[in-house]
Amino acid sequence: MKFALSPEQAQFADTLDALLAKSDVARAWAAGDHEPGLAVWRHLADLGVTSVAQDGEPVDLVVAMEAVGFHALPGPAIETLAVLPGHTDGALLATVAIPPHVPYAVDAHVAERVFVLRNGVLFTGTPGQRISSVDPCRALFEVTPATEVGPLDGAFDRGVLACSAQLLGAGRALLARSVDYVKQRTQFGKPIGSFQAVKHQLASVHVGLELARPVVYGAALNAVPVSAAKIAAGDAAYRAARTALQVHGAIGYTVENDLSLWLSKVRALHTAWGTGSVHRARVMATLTRPAGPH
Amino acid sequence: MPNIVVLVKQVPDTYSERKLASADHTLDRASADAVLDEINERAVEEALQIKEAQGGEVTVLTVGPERATDAIRKALSMGADKAVHVSDESLHGADIIQTAKVLAKAIGTVEGYDLIIAGNESTDGVGGAIPAMLAELLGLPQLTHARKVEIDGTSVKVERETDAGRTFLEAALPAVISVGEKINDPRYPSFKGIMAAKKKPVTTLTIADLGIDASEVGLANAASQVLESAPKPPRAAGQQITDEGDGGSKIAEYLVSQKLI
Repeated sequence: MKFALSPEQAQFADTLDALLAKSDVARAWAAGDHEPGLAVWRHLADLGVTSVAQDGEPVDLVVAMEAVGFHALPGPAIETLAVLPGHTDGALLATVAIPPHVPYAVDAHVAERVFVLRNGVLFTGTPGQRISSVDPCRALFEVTPATEVGPLDGAFDRGVLACSAQLLGAGRALLARSVDYVKQRTQFGKPIGSFQAVKHQLASVHVGLELARPVVYGAALNAVPVSAAKIAAGDAAYRAARTALQVHGAIGYTVENDLSLWLSKVRALHTAWGTGSVHRARVMATLTRPAGPH
Repeated sequence: MPNIVVLVKQVPDTYSERKLASADHTLDRASADAVLDEINERAVEEALQIKEAQGGEVTVLTVGPERATDAIRKALSMGADKAVHVSDESLHGADIIQTAKVLAKAIGTVEGYDLIIAGNESTDGVGGAIPAMLAELLGLPQLTHARKVEIDGTSVKVERETDAGRTFLEAALPAVISVGEKINDPRYPSFKGIMAAKKKPVTTLTIADLGIDASEVGLANAASQVLESAPKPPRAAGQQITDEGDGGSKIAEYLVSQKLI
């Protein structure tokens, strides 16, 4: 199997990196000022990023979601890009609850289209009470079904794949920031990154992310179950977050340091779209089931 | 409906470490990430804006090694229609005059061009002479350092800005223009643009295709050669003076010693 990105996919990733690196919108979004973030989403829509699931291949979607994770872009990205394309009716952002594993709809107060998916049937949804999230950029809402829209297949799996890619991107960002930090912060007259106790931990984070990446891309190509991707990317990103927090020392705990944007995002996504045990059970089921497609 | 040729160049990313190859003091292209020069993105953007307003066709032209196809692909994904890539081993080490001659010949392969748009200078060579040389070789008017371009049927108007001030130029088409930093903000390629670029025609030419002999080009035939190179010495630390009531006169003494006052 070939996991290398095509020149076009690499260029798509570079374009997203260039655009999103200039977009510092997460803090405003968390504070309730969504306009700067929506401007970035409008730009992404103009470039065809929000319709990449319809116009491109599944790997293109993973490339886009990895960039969303790497740059901590707020907004219902998984829902809009991966789960609901074709159901946005020209709206910029859409969100969905898929009980039991996705009990709340993210950012239902910003998304123009709100849905609930029950037993494979999509309903329009009415947002109810807001639930707090560990990630201030994620506002969660209870949703009650209103009008039936019709059947929607594979929605949960597409969301799981997108969530895995977002976690992978966020994990890479945490590692990159940590590596930068340990080269600058000195203790005992040397950069702390020169000490084995620090560099071995970061090397383990790197190995975890590198091993998760082919699983995520493999899941996009249907070579492995998306649940395996979620476990690999979730655990690798969570390890990246824990290690990033440790090597940053006390400054990493502060909300003022931008590290908090990724720490809280990864903590939320690690158990969103199904916890680790849910996905381990799903992988187990594919292994014990008689031969057939995943 | 102007037919536009945009000159582009692949350069080492300004964020990566740029150096000269130790063997022949030419640019070490392999050691750094290669990107489409940013000023060329602006040149492509200007051509696309003219095309969107008035129709026509945008052809991208580059001279460079095989990997320069990445720079071409970027320009095509932004929306240019086709590309010409002059790629020939014997051009290694070519100087600006040779490059201008090759470009002039290559532009001759584009049928019925009205306008040639270049960036004012590259970030690697920083020669800034190509647009002028090209205009001379093709016998066309040159309107360089543009911050604003207007095409009106058979003529082009340019607002030229340099450190010396602004001038307003007008010339009959066809013409060569070069654009500066302030001309526009280049667009990002869209997803569909990136995918469409794969199918756009790229003509690859050697210097033999252009009727140029290998004995006219390359490092051995360049008008000038780099004999030696060394990294820029680090800036020396400045002289620090603690003000003990005589700080003002110490500064004055220093300025007098430098013959500044």
